[in-house]
Amino acid sequence: MTTYIIRRLLLMIPVALLVTVGIFVIIRIAPGDPVLTYAGEDKDPVTIAAVRAELGLDQPLPIQYAAWMGRALQGDLGRSFQTKQRVLEAIGERLPVTLELGLAAIFISVSVALVVGILSAVKRNSARDLLTTSATLAGVSFPNFYLGLLLILLFAYIVPGHIFPPGGFVSPTKDLGENLRYMVLPAVTVATASLAVNLRQVRSSLLDVFGQDYMRTARAKGLRERAVITRHALKNALIPVVTIIGIQIGAIIEGAIITETIFFIPGIGRLAVQAIPSQDYPIVQGVVLVSALSFMVSTLAVDILYAFIDPRISFGGAEA
Amino acid sequence: MALPVIVPAGGTDRWYVFRYFIRKNPRMLVGLVLLGILLFVAVFAPLIAPYDPIKVNISDTLEPPSLTHLLGTDDLGRDVFSRVLWGSRISLSVGVISVSIGFLLGVSIGLLAGYLGGTFDLLAMRVIDALLAFPALVLAIAITAALGPQIQNAMIAIGIVAVPGYARLTRGQVLSVRSREFITAARTVGVPPLRIVLRHIFPNIANPLIVQATLATAFAILAEAALSFLGLGPQPPFPSWGQDINYSQRYLANMKWWMSAGPGIAIFLAVFTFNFLGDALRDALDPRLRRSG
Amino acid sequence: MSRSVSRALALLVALTVLLAACTGTTSAPTSQAPGGGAKAAYGGSVTFAMNSDISNMDPMLSGLFVDRHLMYAMYDSLVRVTPKGEIIPWLSALPTISADGKSYTFKLRTDVKYHDGTAFDADSVKWNLDRYRTTTGSLRLGELAPIDTVTVVDPSTVRVDLKAPFAPFVSVLVDRSGMMLSRKTVEAGGADFTRKAFKAGSGPFILTEAVKDDHYTFVKNPDWWGKAANGDKLPYLDTVIIKPITDSDVRLTNVKTGQVQATNAVTGKDVPTVKADPNLVYQEIAGIGYNSLVPNRAPGFLFSEPRYIKAVSLAMDRAELLAKGPAQGVGVVGYGPLAPSHFAYDASFKPFEKADIAGAKKLVADVGKGPLKFELLVSSGDAATLQGAQLLQSQLAKADITMDIKTLLFNEIVTLQQQHKHPGMTYINWSGRIDPDGNVYDFNFTGRPNNDSAYSNKEVDALLDQTRTTSDAAKRKELFLKAQQIFVVDDPSRIFYSFPAAQLLTAKAIQGFQDFPDQLPRFETVWVQK
Repeated sequence: MTTYIIRRLLLMIPVALLVTVGIFVIIRIAPGDPVLTYAGEDKDPVTIAAVRAELGLDQPLPIQYAAWMGRALQGDLGRSFQTKQRVLEAIGERLPVTLELGLAAIFISVSVALVVGILSAVKRNSARDLLTTSATLAGVSFPNFYLGLLLILLFAYIVPGHIFPPGGFVSPTKDLGENLRYMVLPAVTVATASLAVNLRQVRSSLLDVFGQDYMRTARAKGLRERAVITRHALKNALIPVVTIIGIQIGAIIEGAIITETIFFIPGIGRLAVQAIPSQDYPIVQGVVLVSALSFMVSTLAVDILYAFIDPRISFGGAEA
Repeated sequence: MALPVIVPAGGTDRWYVFRYFIRKNPRMLVGLVLLGILLFVAVFAPLIAPYDPIKVNISDTLEPPSLTHLLGTDDLGRDVFSRVLWGSRISLSVGVISVSIGFLLGVSIGLLAGYLGGTFDLLAMRVIDALLAFPALVLAIAITAALGPQIQNAMIAIGIVAVPGYARLTRGQVLSVRSREFITAARTVGVPPLRIVLRHIFPNIANPLIVQATLATAFAILAEAALSFLGLGPQPPFPSWGQDINYSQRYLANMKWWMSAGPGIAIFLAVFTFNFLGDALRDALDPRLRRSG
Repeated sequence: MSRSVSRALALLVALTVLLAACTGTTSAPTSQAPGGGAKAAYGGSVTFAMNSDISNMDPMLSGLFVDRHLMYAMYDSLVRVTPKGEIIPWLSALPTISADGKSYTFKLRTDVKYHDGTAFDADSVKWNLDRYRTTTGSLRLGELAPIDTVTVVDPSTVRVDLKAPFAPFVSVLVDRSGMMLSRKTVEAGGADFTRKAFKAGSGPFILTEAVKDDHYTFVKNPDWWGKAANGDKLPYLDTVIIKPITDSDVRLTNVKTGQVQATNAVTGKDVPTVKADPNLVYQEIAGIGYNSLVPNRAPGFLFSEPRYIKAVSLAMDRAELLAKGPAQGVGVVGYGPLAPSHFAYDASFKPFEKADIAGAKKLVADVGKGPLKFELLVSSGDAATLQGAQLLQSQLAKADITMDIKTLLFNEIVTLQQQHKHPGMTYINWSGRIDPDGNVYDFNFTGRPNNDSAYSNKEVDALLDQTRTTSDAAKRKELFLKAQQIFVVDDPSRIFYSFPAAQLLTAKAIQGFQDFPDQLPRFETVWVQK
């Protein structure tokens, strides 16, 4: 087990290198000179040259990368071109916001998925089952930016009393009630996208379990159907659900990008979306690195957790 | 427990397949009908659209839906319904082209990695891991920004983002069939590797790939809408669903809901069609699911 | 009921309760008092919303307009302007200028302390100006380039010698280039100073809290030197909070519900609503910026043919563009870069008042190379600008001019036009400067950095140079107007079509809030009616 974990951790190094080199090159291919935007309105040539040197953008690409990587290994991701803020500090300020949104969404989505998934799996192929599967398909097919706009329209403008604000963010340390009020619509928006995946997972893993021998044995023993489901099926069916929650935690940043943009939430996804077109290289590189690492770490954590829950799995030399 | 679905070979009746689908897999049929409607709209948009989708009409801006304008007009007085019909062309072509790009690249990498194994497999899979570790939308935005915010670049970006899915799926499937007897037999009689891969392995792993491609089309349409929504779609004034929703966002608080309703529902229907079809296909083609019901 | 199912249901119930609880917290609007000419009251707080977050608090490194919202509350500059654009004494009296126009002597206030307790004096002025004009990476290098030396004459007198006479020099010191900061705090702040500029200024308010993307809190500077016209010691307010709120709908909702009491950004579509709201006061004056289309006149490009530029200018319906375009009627139709609040503005200058389709067609025919077709580059994702571009597209089509819209990333457009490589036109706003020089010179003088159209006209160059060496305002106005006739009509450098508005929306209880053409709020005179 330990060797497996070490092996997996070691494998992360080339992947992280590939990710950073990849994003480093991609954002620099983009035509357009960031210095011209960051040098202010007056575009004085002396200023521009000085700013370019200041940002290290007068160096050849490999040297720029080596310099960045060298500092990154010491825990310094540089400073934003735009705000001169430390990239780590910028990410640190926004990550909690994105995490709150993502975890709230997972909470909503998993709760609904469990209830509906169980109900639909028990009565497979019934009209109710068809309805729920179609409904989940509808959920996953609904463009979440349009859902976000619809929710804003409904709850911020049409329903009297402005139940929920049309966007923005209040820090939970300042006012927890307000913070939650601001979070409801965005969290529901994010949750809808993952709801279908969760529901499908709950349903299909329950169905899988229903087909197993011990279920038949349990039924043959004369246990009541409800007891069969709760005592035997759910416990085993939850393993893949745990997996999928883990994967979703790793993908929180990804899932929040559009929603943060629509609801003007100062999270890490919006930071990335704004930084790419404005060519704030250090921010983009930092966000991508952090997000890739969190994805890889959570995938590994899920695999390890899986091994603990399900003793049948062993990690021989199997390729991950 | 439902019984396994088995398609009996060779019905004599020419309507047999049709009746089979009605009885055993009605979802497949519904999916195909939806797809047919979508294709019809895209192909015949110029004939069925009541107005020119790009004609500015400054005296009729922001009109609510009525009999003259079924889905109202936008802030330049253009007919939203006509724009929605025309917008299907962008969405469908992005779906098809980007999925083809992703399919070709991903399946080739997967086939090679699975069949060759060794160093190539190791290297290719690290690249795939790296692609997978990227936040997909950030990668798509970055690629589109790098190549220029035009629709053909958005297609490339969406295609690249889809590569890991195909590659991993293909590789896994190849590994599972590689050691089967017929492959070993083909190899012993000296069939060239490329021929083995294309003629013997690929047909045996095609089913899950078809399902994956159908679902990926749904993803691609959604991704195109998202990129267009962020301003990385086709050049205006050409109608694009995502872009039109972006335009409408400014008028949300003024209750001009119809500007986004048409394109929003259109995206939903298109994505739903492919997801629905993909699900139905999976039920019909995936042997594992067939077993478990 | 089974354990797992009931647990899942419990989660749902908890969630529902949570949702219900959240809905109960809408805050009540603040109470309103009737207006009137009551005596100004001390105390109270105002929350002001700006349309995006700041990037930088250091006047030396700030390149965004929005940054200046905070700076006017926390920093003092050497001189300031009135809403009419006249330059007035602030930390310094108006300078005395030597006969050759090269030497400026500033007599400083002696009763000013920075928020960190250090004194404001001639040494401090010299340190600030030298820092701005010599630091690598300073964005003030261009503005302060005319300075040759800064000399401390005595603790309350500074002399600035210029390399050559430069009439608009004093106007440069109104804003960032003239803002005075405490050396102690700036040096202690180091690289983080740009975001944590606490106690660096001497202004009417002291920055006490800065939360990125959320709010900036200022408290009253009890030792501030300023007084109102009636002798009241300023400022009146105890607290000022400045909040960045990007979404216009969210911003407006906040003003309507009373969480925010003032903003300077209201979108055109919402203006009728706020004007009709009895709880709000809306002010609007013409700003000092302008909106323009920038053709590339470099040799070999389509618009090296000036008649084409004029044809486009003739075919445009500026009134419709303002009324139905993104501005939705907010702002003023314009024809040149001299804005209504500039001393050099001429209200009778209306060369393209009505769209002249026939005239445009005739000019294109005169060139004799077939129909005119060009590309307008627009920043991608900017829905409002794209709407305006599509409207313009339909206007030009009436004169058989084909304008293709091409969306590119903002940086790419800036780069292309900086290198004079954009094929057709670009669309550019200028935020505006107090002196007409800041709206005209760098955009039309041969080879200047902001001359994105690669314009070169010897006569214009000569006229513009004279505006810099002449200090007489009437003479300068005449020169500007002469130049404007050339670079707008006779040999166009770009197409000017409107001036944005300087807006100010306040709750009714907010008094003493003045609307300035530069759109920036000044809080020292603001008070809240009890």
